[in-house]
Formats: sequence, structure tokens, C-alpha cells
Amino acid sequence: MSESTTMPEPTAAPEPAAAPEPTAAPEPTVTPGPTADSTRTGPGRLLVAIYGLFALSASARAGVQIATKFSHAPVAYVLSAFAGAVYILATVTLTVGSRTARRIAVVSCSIELAGVLAVGTWSLVDPASFPDASVWSGYGSGYGFVPLVLPVFGLLWLRYWSRR
Amino acid sequence: MTALNHRMNVPMLAAVGVLEILLLVEVGIIVSKLAQGARPAALPTLVGYLIATPLVPLAAAAWGIMERTRWGPAVIAVAGLVAAILMVRLHQVWPAIHV
Repeated sequence: MSESTTMPEPTAAPEPAAAPEPTAAPEPTVTPGPTADSTRTGPGRLLVAIYGLFALSASARAGVQIATKFSHAPVAYVLSAFAGAVYILATVTLTVGSRTARRIAVVSCSIELAGVLAVGTWSLVDPASFPDASVWSGYGSGYGFVPLVLPVFGLLWLRYWSRR
Repeated sequence: MTALNHRMNVPMLAAVGVLEILLLVEVGIIVSKLAQGARPAALPTLVGYLIATPLVPLAAAAWGIMERTRWGPAVIAVAGLVAAILMVRLHQVWPAIHV
């Protein structure tokens, strides 16, 4: 007995002679190279994530230190709080990614780079001012030197965007 | 995965889920120690870490899954590294944790 509900055989629709399907790669691969459509996508996804991490950790750490033991190392804690503010600004502007935001991001990444170099040098020349570490002490050595590398990548990423 | 040029996939999200569960177990153990009356020297810092640590995999998964390129898994990789660093820092903040 033939089932009346059976769909009729598809009448071999003339498929366009497209390029052959990629034969079952184990996982879908993505075209390499920067295909990002915003400063927060592609490599910027990673950059914003790390900036966000530093924005949170630097400002939270500075907040706790200023609230509980400010007199212990005031210079270091104020510098950490400033670093946290700059990281927040960079995170927000890189996420927004408009022309104005990118301009602000360039400024904040530049301040970061100058700050980590200046404070890093200061902490080595005058360790007495830093009884406790700031984010930028020793060129960010307490954070695996990420604070030194991060603004460089930020500025490179922003330069790539200003040139397209 | 970033180097292999792969997107986020289900096994990776499952691994993030396992990490999340392990972190929550660790937080639970520490909270139970606090409930028994033990106190670290830096209580506010410890509480901050206890709140922030379980949020790391969640935030990374949310942020990484929006990225349909090789850079999604990169976010997850960083989150794994950050979770490891947070574990080390937790034990520095309160050496009484023997987990």
C-alpha cells in the first residue's frame, strides 16, 4: 500500500554547477587574515577581552588598596587607580569603535605606553616610593609584562583601522 | 584553536563548563571554610576573588561565542590562563586553602 503522505520525489532540480563542496573537513575552518568589521571583532575580540580584564583587575585592586591601606604606599595605589581608569577608557572606546572612539583609544593606549615606561623606570630608580607594587611597577612585571605589551598591540590594531 | 584557525565548537564549550564547575566547587570549599569561622588576613580581597573567579569562564564564553572566527577560541584560551592565575593568587591570599 503506497502511503499518500509520502512526499513526491524531488524532480532532480537542476542544481547550479557550483564549485564542489569542500569534502567533509573535520571542522569548519575560517578564512585567515583580518576579516574584522569592527575594532571589537576578530583580533580585537581578544584585545578587548584582555583590556577588560585589566580594567577590572587594576581598578578593583586599587580600590581595595586605597580603601584599606592607603597610607602604606599612596603613590603606587594612586598610580594603579589611574592605570585602571585608563584601561577602562581603552576597553570602552575599543568596544565602541567609532571614529571618535578610535581617536580616544589611540590617546589612552599612548598614555598607557608612556605610563608603563615612566612608572616602570621610576619604580626601578626610586624603589622607596613603591613599598607595594603598582600595576605598572617594573614595567608590569607583576602581571607578566602584559601591561607593557598590551598598548603596543592596541596601537598597532588602531593603526590598522585608521589605514583601511 | 586560534593557530589551527578553528571556530568555537561544542567540545570547547563543554570544557569551559567543566572548568566552571570545578571553580564553583573550589569557591564552595572556601566559603564553607569561611562559614566555619576561619578568616584570612585579606578578607575583602578574598571575597573579591571568590566573586570574580567563577565569572571568568562565563564572561569568556559569552564574549568568545559572539566571535565566529579563530579569535573566539583565543578568548577562551586566555580565560583558562586567567583562571589558573586566579587559583594561584587565591592560595597566596589565603594559604589556609589546601585544595
